[in-house]
Amino acid sequence: MSERETREAEIESLLRRSMAAPVPSLPPNFDERVLRELREDSQKRERYRRILAAGYGLVSAVTCATIMRGQGLNWGAIGVAILVPLVLVAIVPLARRASHAGLPHGAK
Amino acid sequence: MESDAQLVGRAQSGDQEAFAELIRRHSARVFRLAVSILGREFVPEAEDVAQEVFLKVHHGIASFRGEAEFSSWIYRITFHQAVNLKSRVRFRNPHADETVLQQVATLEPGPDRLVETAQREQAIAECMATLPEVYQAALRLYYWLDAGVGEVAMLLDVPENTAKSYLHRARQLLQAMLKEKGYSHE
Repeated sequence: MSERETREAEIESLLRRSMAAPVPSLPPNFDERVLRELREDSQKRERYRRILAAGYGLVSAVTCATIMRGQGLNWGAIGVAILVPLVLVAIVPLARRASHAGLPHGAK
Repeated sequence: MESDAQLVGRAQSGDQEAFAELIRRHSARVFRLAVSILGREFVPEAEDVAQEVFLKVHHGIASFRGEAEFSSWIYRITFHQAVNLKSRVRFRNPHADETVLQQVATLEPGPDRLVETAQREQAIAECMATLPEVYQAALRLYYWLDAGVGEVAMLLDVPENTAKSYLHRARQLLQAMLKEKGYSHE
């Protein structure tokens, strides 16, 4: 055995000795834990998304109403101008979902 | 059995069962990689890293275009996540030297010899900590976690020859550093 090989064998055995420790592993319920965390996380995100959308809608509506009132429009016209697009925004996805659900499986 | 690419496709269209299968397939390796980077003092943190990686993957899976293997992508995320965590927890690392010395000094057979061994192991740990992260991870995977060169290469996302050269270079550097510190292992 050459001197280099001896040195390599020595550092090899030194490393094996110094790292001789039990090999850790994940707990058996790790997968379920991650999936639970994912579910909670997506629920949380969905809630934030809705709060954000509602906040945005509210601020937009108030701003529009203020500007339109400033232009001299009456409250009835302002209400129609704000509510019609909001109703459309709510109805279109519902209608789309309903027509999707009515289609046969292969047609999707 | 479905391939990773097929499972990713299903997961991208919202199939949670496909994502659960991806977790089952990759969680052990993700954890091994994380623990090889963090070291044995930080096993619970490695578990947290593994969990965090899957949360990140779940958020980012829609943007995964499959240009690389899914496994390479997830191992790369794990590597960066673990290295980032390591830079934060490093300062929490207990000074093992004194505690180890106290423990071994009280043991019955040949306390001098045990103290010497503990000092040498402390020296190895200190030297290891100065090596590049990929070298440290390669050494821990190979010597501690009993990974073969193939697994080291896969987890570090490099060809097998590169993994071999990481191990070789790491041993050389350690040897030189130990010699400099006055530890010859004859």
